[in-house]
Amino acid sequence: MDLALDRLLAAANQVILGKQQQIRLAVCCLLARGHLLIEDIPGVGKTTLSHTLARLFGLEYQRIQFTSDILPADIVGSSVFDAHQQLFSFHPGPIFKQMILADEINRATPKAQSALLEAMEERQVTVEGRTYPLPQPFFVIATQNPAHQIGTFPLPESQVDRFLMRIELGYPSRQAERELLSGQPRHVLIDELPVALLPEQLADLQQAADQVYVSPALLDYLQAILAFSRQSTDFASGLSPRAGLGLLAAAKAWALIDKRQAVLPEDLQAVLPAVAGHRLNVGANDSAAIVAPILKHVPVL
Amino acid sequence: MLFMLGSIGLITLPHAWHIPPLLFGFFMLLLLWRLLSVWQPRYLPNRFGVFLLMLLGIGLLYSQQHSVFGRDAGTSLFVVALGLKLLEIHGRRDVYVIVYLAFIVAVTQFLYEESILMALYILLVCGVLLATLITQNSQAPRTLAALKTSAAIILQSLPLALVLFVLFPRLEAPHWSWLDDDTHAKSGLSNTLEPGSIAELSLSPELVFRVKFAGDLPPPAQRYWRGPVYATTDGVSWRAPPVLGRENNPDQLVFTGATYDYTLMMEPQKQNWVFALEMPTQFGAGLRRNGLYQLITNKNPGDRAEYQLSSSPVYNTGGISKTERRENLQLPGKPSDRVVELVKQLQGQPARPEMFIGNLLQHFRQENFHYTLSPDPMPDQPIETFLFERRAGFCSHYATAFVYLLRVAEIPARVVGGYQGGQINDVGGFLEVRQADAHAWAEAWLEGRGWVRFDPTAAIAPERIERGVNVDLQIASGAVNFSAIQLDAKTLSWLQRGRQLWQSVDYNWQRWIINYDTVNQRAFLQSLGIDNFVKLGYWLLISVAGVGGVLAWRLLRPNLRRQDPALMSYRQFCAKLSKAGIKVDVGDGPQTVAERAKGLRPDLAEAIERITAIYIRLRYQSDTEASDLQVLKKLVASFRV
Repeated sequence: MDLALDRLLAAANQVILGKQQQIRLAVCCLLARGHLLIEDIPGVGKTTLSHTLARLFGLEYQRIQFTSDILPADIVGSSVFDAHQQLFSFHPGPIFKQMILADEINRATPKAQSALLEAMEERQVTVEGRTYPLPQPFFVIATQNPAHQIGTFPLPESQVDRFLMRIELGYPSRQAERELLSGQPRHVLIDELPVALLPEQLADLQQAADQVYVSPALLDYLQAILAFSRQSTDFASGLSPRAGLGLLAAAKAWALIDKRQAVLPEDLQAVLPAVAGHRLNVGANDSAAIVAPILKHVPVL
Repeated sequence: MLFMLGSIGLITLPHAWHIPPLLFGFFMLLLLWRLLSVWQPRYLPNRFGVFLLMLLGIGLLYSQQHSVFGRDAGTSLFVVALGLKLLEIHGRRDVYVIVYLAFIVAVTQFLYEESILMALYILLVCGVLLATLITQNSQAPRTLAALKTSAAIILQSLPLALVLFVLFPRLEAPHWSWLDDDTHAKSGLSNTLEPGSIAELSLSPELVFRVKFAGDLPPPAQRYWRGPVYATTDGVSWRAPPVLGRENNPDQLVFTGATYDYTLMMEPQKQNWVFALEMPTQFGAGLRRNGLYQLITNKNPGDRAEYQLSSSPVYNTGGISKTERRENLQLPGKPSDRVVELVKQLQGQPARPEMFIGNLLQHFRQENFHYTLSPDPMPDQPIETFLFERRAGFCSHYATAFVYLLRVAEIPARVVGGYQGGQINDVGGFLEVRQADAHAWAEAWLEGRGWVRFDPTAAIAPERIERGVNVDLQIASGAVNFSAIQLDAKTLSWLQRGRQLWQSVDYNWQRWIINYDTVNQRAFLQSLGIDNFVKLGYWLLISVAGVGGVLAWRLLRPNLRRQDPALMSYRQFCAKLSKAGIKVDVGDGPQTVAERAKGLRPDLAEAIERITAIYIRLRYQSDTEASDLQVLKKLVASFRV
């Protein structure tokens, strides 16, 4: 099983060059049963990363391109009149898939955004008074452009909070870019990607992540981080209990990817920018800079 | 709210014994009213109602106390004010006023009682009051947590209180004696010896004084604690002779033999007598020995006081004056024929006094005389009735009859009152003398020997002298019982031991806490080398700063104490790394530290890796091995950079 995880990471690194850390975080996020938000300027490989992950995890996936005129019904589906049977029947929308790739989520109007985000939190959809459960597992990988770009509706704090992690990709390094430029087109590579994880293997891995040991000393450190974020004047608002739970789940998954049976402070530190960055400061997009004071001042020992 | 009302009820409860029932009832009524209003707020009186109640309170106060000065009146004033304030709680400020007032009411309790139990009770109630303040200031009041916090606050304040108690100059408001309008009767010996007076006392377990001997204890037969002397009689009761003009020459007193040094702590008394072991040789300032060889204190007898005394059981008082001789031969009338006959028969006249006394004691011993605590009443001519008919009596009967017969035989004699014996407290090593140990014996003046003590009771019931009175049994059965003075540990029941322990604690409380007055404080401070106020100021400052510093340190670094030993070892390791120039930031995890250290000092990589691995296992993993901590300590100790 560990081998499967290694294979998955190796294959992903073949497609997205020079972004090992981000790929690990993305995989970690999915192992921790969280939704992932990828934020960066257009063209750095957000969509490529999400497609790669979807392929590698072997889940049935659906891409939804968010535009400013997309309606909630385009996402969750709608009831259509069936002339044969003389009654309305529900046509499920693209959201009824195990993995949703929501591209450029902040291009859509808040109404459409919230249709998706509600589904993310409740893992079910309610249309015209009837509730339809979403498939299991259910992941959303959303991409968005930085808020300062033209034609965006920034996600409010409460909705950003639904994403376990937000990661940034950034420009590739010089060497990675050279490889990219000289290599095959990415979409060809993605189409050729094998499925690295079977659905049961994914469930096993998620369960294994849950069982990673957390010592009282580590909980002390986690609580110290939470307390610091709440007391510090650097942040408008501190980390919520949900953020604390998310941090712990992500750190456990990170430890699992590292093939360890116990969470270390380094695991928390590794996932902290991705998990806490977008919760502490929605507008900014340099997560590492946002959490730097926490890492610097909260004592590990 | 309920909590506060409860604590206020607790704090005023002991006052029920001190303040007039009417005022206490008024207070309780107000408290109940307030309590009911918690559920029915509309029953609360309005401004005018409170005003009327206040007038009523003032009226009651005046009718009961007639003033607001003095201890009782002042206390009542505070209690009534507290009750009235309860009815007008509008905001947090009023709650503060009430709680502070309650603290004052708690303090007034000490004007009445200074016992250790009361101190503990007040401390407890103060804890509850503090908890009230805490709940007032917390967002989510939780009673248990508030009580816990207040207990912690009290514990933290105790060292400071101790320092201030020992060092801060004692204010001498001599045990509030100017406020002391306490008139409740204390039992004890008095100036007159009535036929039944000692028998009454013999049922009282009330403590009279406690004695701590510097060296050995005198044998039981010598434990006579001298009190008043009774010389004048009308045949029924005996009265003390006038003491005025009797400051007779003390150089006549000649002591031979060993002396006993002891500390005597008198409980509050009616009379200003100090019961010294016969015969006191030395006594401190504030005491004088009157012509009857009795010690008199010039302090307020209502206070507990401690005296340093020395006594010698072998003494010679020398001669007596004519007045004194006449006084001690006084008879209530002409003795009857029976008495004269008896004296003759015992070779009283004109035989030698010693011979007569010996014969008389022999007579008591051989004839059918009994010792009893409850003799039949002998209203008229008690001495003759006792001598010839009843022949059963208590120590005072024997002593008076003995003195009477001696006087008939023209030997100057008198009755001496006081206490005999006492119970040894094994735990504290001191002697407790109770009212039940009250005793009367006789003194005869013999040529060349002065006043000599004779105890006719010893002739009848030697066990009374040798073993002492068993107070408990006596009280339980109403009859005289004697207990062996030296009980071995096995026969002492745990109950007795417990009581002795308690008495010992109480003795030390009285001795070291209540009696810590200006004089004692000065002596104590001088033994520390503090002789002026500047030095005392420095001491106070240093002690308070020291205690405060320790407390602050503990409060500000709360997690230092409950630390993981593994973490301590790892800290040492980090300190060693820092010395070698490898920077360790607070936010660095163990692996980060290890990577950096290995990068900078590849030569130490192996040791660093091992220490880090064991530390991680100890601190973060579930599969810790028992030996890990030892290994880690050893590795860190042997780690050299």
